[in-house]
Amino acid sequence: MANTLLLTVENQNPTLAIRNFLKSVLHDDTIQAILVPARQEGISTIMPCLIHDPALLDQADPLAPFFPLNAARLAARLSVKPVKGKMAFVLRPCEIRALVELEKLKQADLENCLLISMDCAGAYAAKAEIDSQDTIDIPDPNDAKLAPACRACEHFVPENADLIIGWFGVNPKEKIMIQAGTDAGMAILEKVARESGQSLSEAPSEREKTVAGILDLRMQFRDAMFAATRKAVDSHEKFTRYFERCINCYNCRVACPVCYCRECVFNTDVFDHEPFQYLQWARRKGAVKLPADTVFYHMTRLAHMSLSCMGCGQCSNACPNDIPVMELFRTTAFDVQNAFDYEPGRDRDEPLPLSVFREKEFTDVVGID
Amino acid sequence: MQKIPKETHTAYNALVVGAGISGIRSALDLAQTGCRVLIIDKSPAMGGLLKQLDFQFPSNHCGMCRMLPLVHRDRGGQFCLRKGLFHENIDLILSAEISSLSGEPGNFTVKIHEKPTWVDPDRCVGCGLCETVCPETVPDCFNEGISTHKAIYLPVPHAIPNPYVIDLAACTRCGACADICPTDAVLLSGADRKNFTILVVDDELSIRDSLKEWLEEEGFSVDMAASGAEALEKLKAHPFHLMLTDIKMPEMSGTDLLHAAKAAYPDLCVVMMTAYATVETAVEAMKTGAEDYLIKPFEPETLLPMVIRLYQDLEAARDREITAETIILGTGTSFYDPADKKNIFGYGIFPNVVTNIEFERLISHSGPDGGNLTRLDNGRPVKKIAWIQCVGSRDIQNNADYCSTICCMAAVKEALLAKALGEEAIETVIFYMDMRAWGKSFQRYVDTAVHDHQVRFERCKIHSLTLDEATGDLVVRYISTAGTAAEETFDMVVLSVGQRPADKTQNLSRICDLPLTGQGFPETLPFAGSRTPRDGIFAAGSAAGLRDISESLILASAASREARRFIRPKGEDGGASPSTSTAASDTRQIYRDVSREPIALFVGICTCAGRFDQWVDQEALTRYFSLDPEIVKISFVHQVCTADGWASLSKDISESRANRVLIAACHPYVFLKKIRKLSQTLGLDPSLIDVVDIMTPVFQAQAQEKNQEQAQDQTNDGKNGGQMGDNLFSRISQGAAALKQADPTVPQDMPVFQNVLVIGAGIAGMNASLSIADAGFTVDLIETTDRLGGNLNWLDQTIDGLSLRDLMEETIAAAEKHPCISIHKEARLTSCEGTAGQFHSTIETGGKQKQVQNLEHGAVIVATGGHEAKTTSFGHGTHPSILTQKALETRLHKKEITEGQIDTVVMILCVDSRKEPRNYCSRVCCPTALKQARQLRELNPETSIYILYRDMMTVGFSETFFTRARNDNVTFMAYPPETPPAVNTENDTLTVTLTEPVLKRPVEISADLVVLATGIVPELPDELANVLGIQKDQDGFFQEAESKFRPLDAIKEGIFACGIAHSPRSAGEAADMGRAAAQRALSLISNPAYVPDITIASVRHSLCSLCERCIAACPYGARMFDLEHTRILVNPLMCQGCGACAAVCPNDASVLPALSARRMLGAVDAVFERITAG
Repeated sequence: MANTLLLTVENQNPTLAIRNFLKSVLHDDTIQAILVPARQEGISTIMPCLIHDPALLDQADPLAPFFPLNAARLAARLSVKPVKGKMAFVLRPCEIRALVELEKLKQADLENCLLISMDCAGAYAAKAEIDSQDTIDIPDPNDAKLAPACRACEHFVPENADLIIGWFGVNPKEKIMIQAGTDAGMAILEKVARESGQSLSEAPSEREKTVAGILDLRMQFRDAMFAATRKAVDSHEKFTRYFERCINCYNCRVACPVCYCRECVFNTDVFDHEPFQYLQWARRKGAVKLPADTVFYHMTRLAHMSLSCMGCGQCSNACPNDIPVMELFRTTAFDVQNAFDYEPGRDRDEPLPLSVFREKEFTDVVGID
Repeated sequence: MQKIPKETHTAYNALVVGAGISGIRSALDLAQTGCRVLIIDKSPAMGGLLKQLDFQFPSNHCGMCRMLPLVHRDRGGQFCLRKGLFHENIDLILSAEISSLSGEPGNFTVKIHEKPTWVDPDRCVGCGLCETVCPETVPDCFNEGISTHKAIYLPVPHAIPNPYVIDLAACTRCGACADICPTDAVLLSGADRKNFTILVVDDELSIRDSLKEWLEEEGFSVDMAASGAEALEKLKAHPFHLMLTDIKMPEMSGTDLLHAAKAAYPDLCVVMMTAYATVETAVEAMKTGAEDYLIKPFEPETLLPMVIRLYQDLEAARDREITAETIILGTGTSFYDPADKKNIFGYGIFPNVVTNIEFERLISHSGPDGGNLTRLDNGRPVKKIAWIQCVGSRDIQNNADYCSTICCMAAVKEALLAKALGEEAIETVIFYMDMRAWGKSFQRYVDTAVHDHQVRFERCKIHSLTLDEATGDLVVRYISTAGTAAEETFDMVVLSVGQRPADKTQNLSRICDLPLTGQGFPETLPFAGSRTPRDGIFAAGSAAGLRDISESLILASAASREARRFIRPKGEDGGASPSTSTAASDTRQIYRDVSREPIALFVGICTCAGRFDQWVDQEALTRYFSLDPEIVKISFVHQVCTADGWASLSKDISESRANRVLIAACHPYVFLKKIRKLSQTLGLDPSLIDVVDIMTPVFQAQAQEKNQEQAQDQTNDGKNGGQMGDNLFSRISQGAAALKQADPTVPQDMPVFQNVLVIGAGIAGMNASLSIADAGFTVDLIETTDRLGGNLNWLDQTIDGLSLRDLMEETIAAAEKHPCISIHKEARLTSCEGTAGQFHSTIETGGKQKQVQNLEHGAVIVATGGHEAKTTSFGHGTHPSILTQKALETRLHKKEITEGQIDTVVMILCVDSRKEPRNYCSRVCCPTALKQARQLRELNPETSIYILYRDMMTVGFSETFFTRARNDNVTFMAYPPETPPAVNTENDTLTVTLTEPVLKRPVEISADLVVLATGIVPELPDELANVLGIQKDQDGFFQEAESKFRPLDAIKEGIFACGIAHSPRSAGEAADMGRAAAQRALSLISNPAYVPDITIASVRHSLCSLCERCIAACPYGARMFDLEHTRILVNPLMCQGCGACAAVCPNDASVLPALSARRMLGAVDAVFERITAG
């Protein structure tokens, strides 16, 4: 299917070509603003920025390997109620997947926006700083310095995006491709092609092979990570030890894009224990470690989030004590999602398993057939 | 069983006889509208027949709990109904029967005869220690005698509470059970028997002596007389309870003695003894007052149980007197005993011939073999089973010219259950005459059995059933419809035995002065299946004959509606009437608001007469609990179950000024009533008082240990001691932790609109409207056409010749003149918003000039009816003499068909029915064909009538019309669905051709009329269903919440259905269903405000993220998104407190305050509490 527009890259810098493309998107009357990772003046990192003035799209840098936060929550916030016109969101594949989950949780409305995503090489850990105002090269998708979450990620090609900025299968220093993923994306792409006098073509044949090659290495890394993590938590004692440095700062929860509660249950009266209760625990066991409820907190979050966890790794990025939170969440999520044959972000119409009632399910667990 | 303390008043609004599903339904209906109800049942456990049946079709599950009230749940326990029934307005007495009735409707006085169980149900904790020591073994009634139990036994294995009872006939009174009982619950004491005096009259000394010896050994006082004259003298000198007399004696015969003695001493109980030759005399004697008879020679095993039974009935039983304004009989039916009379199927002789009830026990997990289906002779797995239908049904010789209605579907279900048990490997064959799949989903269920599970259906006549002596296999010989003989071998044969009037119906009829039908069922009035000819006495369910579960429940609700007419509203007669229970809103107000008080918990512990101290050190426990600042008082009571114990506990509680009370004792059910009373005295909401059962687990562990001990003869007492103490303590701690977190806030009342919208003014809708209006509530009855009456506008008469026109005219007149009914003709419902209790609707009326009207109502009854299906099959529409049943009905009524005009009529049944897409039976067409055949014969007795059918669906008593038609030489020919008859209209003459089933040759019938039975299609437009938010089944009928146990309710609470919009049925059945639907609606709207139950969900809006997962999770549709205020709302009437919303909510924004996370976590945490930690 001819759904791909190949853009010529100048100065061996694909970012410039992308900026130009985004400008032509913003030029469209229906698009009011674009949310895109950008370098802003006086700020030494890259942060999402909602850009209305096309000139300011020269700061956009969606391919930079920096991922300070998962922007799905921001996009959700911007989409949840209708505005006149549309906004375009330029998001990483994992951010779109998170956004799809948030839509299922009624925290976003994807009818109101245009989703643009890109082939994702991965990102370095959040705390890395950019050292120049220039764009930097796209990293090698198998670079060992990438964050572990990215190295274990199999969803580096966007799903559910209206438009895809692609470079797998082409040399991004020469060409970059824009691909339509939906009818809405196609309409825009056709318009841009018409205006620039280009024609649409099929995706380059190399693409499939490149993707398969990356996937192969990613799966190897992922499976090794699963094995190591399972071993690290295969008993109650080890599980507790895994979180021994946790101080209940709840940063992982704040960083999680799909942890959507307005107020976390761990901040409510449910865990607001009476002093007498602490004393009782101390009496019973001789001593009680404080803060209490650390393991309970993580188990609860596992219970709540492992069906929707898309493995963006922001929880690990956020941990001040470098607990490998992502590793455990992804490992657990993998099994839980398999059990329900569910994949977060795969399909907007696929209901959350907890909202689906099946009379016969897990008969071996519930003991009723 | 809830034993009723003596001080409890004995005035009830209603007495319900029989605690099967029909009795339960009627009682719950009345209790929910505020009446006080007493249910009695003759057996020692409730649940009726269904306590023995584990699975019902079409779900092949049990679903009795679905009958439980969905509103006012707090007033009744939400327990499995096979286990027990708890409602604050309902008292239950088991092992009890009516012994006399006097007074009049509105004020009956009833004597209730209560048989002793010899175990105090309040004290028995069901631990089973007694069973381990009882030496006597008897056949188990629960398992239909297939297994055994001890003389002290549980009547059913699963009841709550489940006190043991003693089979006194089997008991040797050795006293072992009384000695071991930890709660002194066994009341066995032989001393009373000394006061029971028996006179033995026989001219033979040896007989007199041996009888005296046997009876005295049993502890009775015995005197003897050698002749009638001597007997009369002894009777004069001394009162006797029982006289055993020989019949053949010189001078005065036993019969004469009976008459003389009965004349002088009417209360004397007499048993006749006779030689075999004079059995008829003995039977005759029973008609003139003898209680029973014995055939000589007899053994003590025959005599003693009878005497003991009479002793129990006469002496040990307690009689109590109650008053009731109305009586509902939910006595059910009994079953034909195939061992009676000819016994052609070898029942009771061949071990693998069982009845359908026995088979249900054999496949039950609580059955004799734990649900492993094995042969009863050699224990090998059953591989091939036959069902023989109509055993004792459709049997004129056995006075059963009726179809028992339920057995066809029961057999199909049993075959499918057997298939499931044997992982489809068991071969199943059902031998039948007509497969009566007469209900909505039945035909598809049968089709599934045939196509998906290979159940074989063999239409045939059974020739014989014999035993292959070598293998023990059963050989069934039968003659197929083709007339050929066949023979097949089976491991097991199930006899689908028919129904009979309930045991002792005759007795009940005599006591209540109720006329019985020729077949022995209570008579009921035409068009009102629940009304007996005796005012104030009603029949619910199958008491008046032959109904399945859903139809029984419909009739039970109709009965409660009719009975309600005899119950005076509260205060109408200046207080003489028993106080109908106070509305919960009144009582709620007397509870003090403790929500702002600091938690002050009282803990009362029953030491079970010191047994508790064996495990737990009182002082250590007190010390430990004293550490808790929220526990204000710990109190130990010697025995809470005694009156003294309870009084001292109550005193301690009131002195403590606690605002939460925990009682650690035995079964919480025992304390239900006491707690209600205590809560009133203390002014404390009952939800803040809790009972935790600490002792039962201890006793049960002991019984288990005892059993193991018997097996291995070794104990490990010391090791268990510490565990037991910890267990006890942990249970108290859990109770305390939970109660501390009990939510003390009082829920807000929800106003209810006390009127009902009825849609459709046919016979069902009009009866529903009248029932509600007669109860004093207003009804808006809307009808799309310009006339009332629905299908009765064209129906002429019933199969028994009663005028349906008169019925229609009377009903219309009553509805039109009723001040509480507003009739809206040419009206349709355009919108219906809101939820149960609070609906806001708009109706549009008027043909050309439309008028819009807004209505507020609390419930909706859908009675939109249906109509005869149209067809183009069999040449309909191509020839004027091919017509439908409706067209013939109209022609007959208009007298367009005259005497002698018609020679030959062919009626074709099941036109387009019972096959996809209309794969259901319309129920009315077979009887209609018989009716019309009779009408045509009345016009011309010479008319030849051919009825071409698939299965004649003359269920229930309409079978008799089928018999009559056959006797009247109506020709019946069955046709298989794959080769239907053909109608030919060539040359303007009508001929019908078909393959004659026996000869297997084509036949041709020239007909003057061809009548097609096209069946019923419902009239429930999609638009209306959408406006109401209700669902339709695949054939367009109203989709009920549950086909068996909630047949009248929509899945959406507050909406009910009746009449043929729900399912095909006759006019009388539709009228009853209208009454039943009215009763369901009244349960909802009888109170002006609804006091929400404690256990309902709510939303903490400040925490809610509006993800709406709770809305998707709610199975009751009780939640909605309030767009106006952007928040989630919960309808307190529809919420059932299941907690699915709370489970799915990640952050406790959706909560059940009564079962809060804090409460549950607290209780879980307390599991690990150990007293030693102090």
